Amino acid sequence: MSDRRIGVYICHCGGNISDYVDVDRVRKAVEGEGGVAVAKTAMFACSDATQQEMASDIQEQHLDGLVVASCSPKLHLHTFRDVARRAGLNPFQYTQVNVREQCSWAHTDDREGATDKAIRLVRGAIARTALTEPLEPIIIETVPRVLVVGAGISGLRAAIGLADLGISVYLVEKSPLAGGWIGKLGKMYPHGKDGKSLIAQLINELKKRENITLYTNAEIAEKSGSIGNFDVNLRVRGQEDTTISVNVGSIIVATGFDAYQPEEEEFGFGLDGVLTLPQFKELLDSSAGRPVFNGREIKNVAYIYCVGSRQQPEVENANRYCSRYCCNAAVHASIIALEKNPGMHQYHLYRDMRTYGKFELMYSQAREMGSYFLKFADDGPPVVERGYDGKLQVSLKDLLTFGEEIEIKADVVVLVTGMVPRKSPELVDVLKLPLGRDRFFNEIHPKLRPVETMVDGVYICGSCQGPKNSIESVASALSAVTQSASILKKGYVDLEPLIASVHQDLCNGCGECVATCPYAAIEMEQQQGRSVAAINRALCKGCGGCVPLCPANAIDLKGYTDAQVRSMIDALLKETCQNE
Amino acid sequence: MDYDMLVVGSGIGGMESALKLGDMGYKVLMVEKEPSVGGKMILLSKVFPTLDCASCISTPKMAASIHHPNVTAMVYSEVEQIEKKAEGKFQIKIRKKPTFVNSSTCTGCRQCEMVCNVAVPDQYNSDMVSRRAAYIAFPQAVPKKAVIEKQGSSPCYHTCPAGIKAHGYIALVRAGKYEEAYELVQETTPLVGSLGRACYAPCEGECSRYEIEGSLPIRKLKRFIADKYYAGNAEPKAVVRVEPNGKKVAIAGSGPAGLTAAFHLARQGYGVKIFEAEKQPGGMLRLAIPSFRLPREVVERDIKNVTVLGVEIETGVRVENIGDLQQQGFDAVFLATGTQGTRKMNVDGEDLDGVVSSLEFLRNVNLGKELSLKDKTVIVVGGGNVAIDSARVAVRLGAKKVIVQYRRSREEMPAHHWEIEGAEKEGVEFQYLTAPVKFNGKGGKLAGAVSIRMELGGADAGGRRKPVPVEGSDYVTKADMVIIAVGLAPDTKNFGSTIKLNMNETISVDPETLQTDIPYVFAGGDVVTGSSMIVNAVGQGRRAAFFINRYLTGQDLKGEEYDYRLPAVDKQQVIDRQQQYSVLPPVENKEVWHEKVSDFREIEPPLTEEEARYSAGRCLDCGVCSECSQCISECPANAIDMSMKEEKLEVEVNSVIVSTGFKLFPADAKPQYGYGKHKNVITGMQMDRLLAPTRPYNTVLRPGDGKVPDNIAYILCTGSRDQTVNNQLCSRVCCMYSVKQNQLIMGALPLADVTVYYIDIRAFSKGYDEFYEQARGMGANFVKGRVARVEEVEDGNLALYYEDIDNGGKVTRAEHDLVVLSVGLLPNTEVFDFFAGEQLEADEFQFVREVDEDINPGRTSIEGVFVAGTASGARDIPDSILHAGSAAAQAAAYVERTRMQQ
Repeated sequence: MSDRRIGVYICHCGGNISDYVDVDRVRKAVEGEGGVAVAKTAMFACSDATQQEMASDIQEQHLDGLVVASCSPKLHLHTFRDVARRAGLNPFQYTQVNVREQCSWAHTDDREGATDKAIRLVRGAIARTALTEPLEPIIIETVPRVLVVGAGISGLRAAIGLADLGISVYLVEKSPLAGGWIGKLGKMYPHGKDGKSLIAQLINELKKRENITLYTNAEIAEKSGSIGNFDVNLRVRGQEDTTISVNVGSIIVATGFDAYQPEEEEFGFGLDGVLTLPQFKELLDSSAGRPVFNGREIKNVAYIYCVGSRQQPEVENANRYCSRYCCNAAVHASIIALEKNPGMHQYHLYRDMRTYGKFELMYSQAREMGSYFLKFADDGPPVVERGYDGKLQVSLKDLLTFGEEIEIKADVVVLVTGMVPRKSPELVDVLKLPLGRDRFFNEIHPKLRPVETMVDGVYICGSCQGPKNSIESVASALSAVTQSASILKKGYVDLEPLIASVHQDLCNGCGECVATCPYAAIEMEQQQGRSVAAINRALCKGCGGCVPLCPANAIDLKGYTDAQVRSMIDALLKETCQNE
Repeated sequence: MDYDMLVVGSGIGGMESALKLGDMGYKVLMVEKEPSVGGKMILLSKVFPTLDCASCISTPKMAASIHHPNVTAMVYSEVEQIEKKAEGKFQIKIRKKPTFVNSSTCTGCRQCEMVCNVAVPDQYNSDMVSRRAAYIAFPQAVPKKAVIEKQGSSPCYHTCPAGIKAHGYIALVRAGKYEEAYELVQETTPLVGSLGRACYAPCEGECSRYEIEGSLPIRKLKRFIADKYYAGNAEPKAVVRVEPNGKKVAIAGSGPAGLTAAFHLARQGYGVKIFEAEKQPGGMLRLAIPSFRLPREVVERDIKNVTVLGVEIETGVRVENIGDLQQQGFDAVFLATGTQGTRKMNVDGEDLDGVVSSLEFLRNVNLGKELSLKDKTVIVVGGGNVAIDSARVAVRLGAKKVIVQYRRSREEMPAHHWEIEGAEKEGVEFQYLTAPVKFNGKGGKLAGAVSIRMELGGADAGGRRKPVPVEGSDYVTKADMVIIAVGLAPDTKNFGSTIKLNMNETISVDPETLQTDIPYVFAGGDVVTGSSMIVNAVGQGRRAAFFINRYLTGQDLKGEEYDYRLPAVDKQQVIDRQQQYSVLPPVENKEVWHEKVSDFREIEPPLTEEEARYSAGRCLDCGVCSECSQCISECPANAIDMSMKEEKLEVEVNSVIVSTGFKLFPADAKPQYGYGKHKNVITGMQMDRLLAPTRPYNTVLRPGDGKVPDNIAYILCTGSRDQTVNNQLCSRVCCMYSVKQNQLIMGALPLADVTVYYIDIRAFSKGYDEFYEQARGMGANFVKGRVARVEEVEDGNLALYYEDIDNGGKVTRAEHDLVVLSVGLLPNTEVFDFFAGEQLEADEFQFVREVDEDINPGRTSIEGVFVAGTASGARDIPDSILHAGSAAAQAAAYVERTRMQQ
């Protein structure tokens, strides 16, 4: 029997857990487990009141281990570790059991079974906790410098934002010029600001700040180190490529998007007069007077929305997502077109008008100025052809006139193309950034950690994360500034001590672990004349990949030692074994 | 204490800004007007598109915001003023609202909530259920501390001269806690039974129901609880007497003032002795008020509440010399001798045998002197309650005819109308605009009165029209007795040499402390105020006891407030607050009528228990907290402090972030959809509450009849994209929260059909369109078409009329059993009231204007003031969080810049 004093708390989560798991039965089943000193249930374990109750239990009952059976550790691991810390218990003597995502929600049809499973999971956690030892976080000093990748509007604004907080910035731009998409734009929605001028203004601000260094024609070549202290090699193209090494505390990725490039013949793409939205916008921006195409005044324009977005699942590699900015951008383009030529006829062929929020005003304005809006069905896209008269002809079934077949003669057909993830395999490769199902870079959680990635210290912002307009990109860039500064201004970060450790007296120096470590965190060193493996604490991520490979069983993962995992398995299977 | 940043509002945007700035090392003050941090998000069920619980996202941030070493969260507090000063700093004025609960000792155990007797609509459940006046906002509240809501004093309580907690005992009667109700009244006065019968109840005139369908019978409720208590407790319960403090107080007079003062002083350990000139104690309660209104036993039982405390009453002793009392060892004296003198008319024949003063007449009857007026004619002169009492006593003594002569008209008559009506029903004749000018006699014995008619002339100094005799209108009435009831006056001859008197012979005191010009002598009741109401005298007695105690314990008499009552609540506000005002007529007043009254049996029947509960149930809980004191005795931590005051504080900050959020579109502003009229039309927020883990009913049901709905309609764009309600903006979140609810409903009620009436589905952000497609895949039915109107049909079901665009565009009717209005977001314009000096600019829709959104989202018109989240426009949660991060980055940059410049 364990002589530990462990506190176990089982959460109702309102009803998220207790609707499907009999939490009282779980409590009764585990309260007699070896080492359990306190076993309670709570309506919301994460609530402040329960947190305080746990803290006072830890102190008054002299608990030396804590188990909370609630939701995914992604949500509350740190919450309860903090409770332990505040109460004077080592936070690494805490174990979270996920009885919600991995139990109650998965077994809504089987209360008995879900309850049995929860009992086993909690027992496993108690067994693990009984073998925990106090661990101290690895403290890494942070360097007050940030690498910003991409000098579009997000990257530029992020760089300035960081510099204003006293943090030095290396700003890296792949192309010869800073400015990105916005640097090529004229008037933008909704405030009518000129894209080129905004970029010029930001570059001007950039120049005023001595603690920003801009490298154009440059990209990331290599990265090592970890949060707070990364070493990054930049490759700067020139007549001769040069490599520049920088040492930074965090990295902000602001590499933007690519415009969707329609397939040949997709909505007539390839026909003369079928333009993408960026092409049409450029045409408008460059027209001083009435817009002209191929030397002829544009009198009729048809816009086809959702090109490359909200694609039907049958499409190969379908972009299922909505590109967010394009309804607004297309409506805005039509307003500019009408300002330049009030006689122009404009036909908008859409699925849902997503001029959200205050952008609704632009939609109203476009209608008031004479734009026609026609709605086509998700499965009935318009067809673009060259008519007998040589003009472009767009035909569709308009749902707003109850399925009437309509044909539109157009001088120009604008394919309202969305955003697609920019292909940057080198970034994915070097930074190991995870992608979402839409293939944009993915944040950890859109609400809890919206600019953080699975790679500690590497943040994302702007449209590399998903479609956004310019203003939204800037807001997320500044949010990434805030996130970076909240780490770097403190001067240090705590890293998880749940990493590999080598029993050097057992190590036979075979070096298999060195070869297998994906983070280059293991090196051989000389100890008393022997060559043995040693772990670099800042680099080891605790993935455990080396542990089973070691022929001498000389590596253990702290917090998940073989003994702990074995005891968890025993506890999980306890009843089954007895039954047999 | 000064801070780097002030964050106004602790919704998701405010918390995000505050926590990130705190992490950066800045000192942040976050001010929240509600009792808990968390804003509106914490009230939601789950959040799109990840279907996380709102609680799971919010609670860690909420807990962090009060535990973060660099963040100070001030809840239940309001920013009153933000003023920009030199050097770019801001001077902030904050008002901390009193919670009436000591937050450092409150453990959040909710005992106060369980025992609280006042229920009001629960705003944290969208008013679908009620909460208590003492409450914790919601189960995940941070900090988890109770607050007691007081919107002011209830008018009944506020107007009571004695400070009796009328609302409190009404609330207790409503809850059936009669003994507690009795004890609550007895906190203030021992005279529970007497006041229950003879109080003129100024509270009833102030009752918020008074002007609508009639006041609550507040006095009769008091009688009900006294009767109930006395029936079970013929003798007072044994009290644990307070350890005597060794000091003695003498009280002259055993009327309501003297008895109440004695009661309070004895309870504090003073040795109290009352000296009463008459043979029996009780003062006017016994001497002046006839027993058919106030039975003797009731007075006697009330007096026992005083004597049980060890108070000694010596009758038949008139206090002649105050100095003697001091020599007898009394440390203080309270003079409460009332108005024992009667005013004279100063007319001929006033001293004839048969002409008596009202007080003498009533005293004789009340003290049991045999007297018969059989076959006699009695004239009562005067128009006050004493006159009416005298007349009604005369009737009971067998008088053949009783005439009341009053020199003004009925409208001016000071007696209460129900007393006059009672007398009329008993056969008393009223001669208005009439007064005797002379009494005729024969052999020193009264024979009749010569009276004269009056006319009302101009107003006198008091504003009443003055009666003017009509020349030659005099006439004679034969009479056997004349009772003169033209006013009472104090009899203070004995004291005149020692203490200062007023011109009208009342004793001169400091009106606040009731101290006379001799420090150890206090005076109160009618002897100070002149003839008044019992309840006034009770108030004076209580006040005197309070200040005598301060005097005898060596404390300053001035400075400490005797009365901590808040200002009375505005009655219109009370009426407006009612979700549904139901007219509940008062219980009819009844008196027991005999054909010819000939005895002194009590004339007013008591309220039955049913009537009492019904009557108490009519209470509108004007001030919200009734001050029934139940929470005080229940709280295991002794955390309740009813005397808590609001606090004002000023701080200086370097930068400000306003994250004051939004207001929901009021669904009743779109009357076509029937919200507020049809019970089964609810808002999206209400549906979110029905689906939340802390949901009020533990399932989704329709409010009209509790039926589990199986055919639910959503009307999108309610109050958004709609010129008719003056909001042409899209609210950005309603499509998605509706889609989220669709998914949750299909999970909770697998058999229910869900239909969404929409214009465009705006699923525009990361993962949203996929989420929308998921709902469609699960079976939600999306119908393009705007709903024109909603009508209620049988069984509380609802008929929707809409343009069916997908099917030929006809106006179509569809029936559903629950309609959810997807209401939009409107600006919260309160934020603009904060600013003094430089004003914060609004955009054309009254959201906070962002002056340079392209480069600096969150920057406002005032340099150094930033806006986070929905305060500047509708936003979903992820966008609000990013916006808050943006505001935080700029606020930090501003602080750094202003620091550099200094």
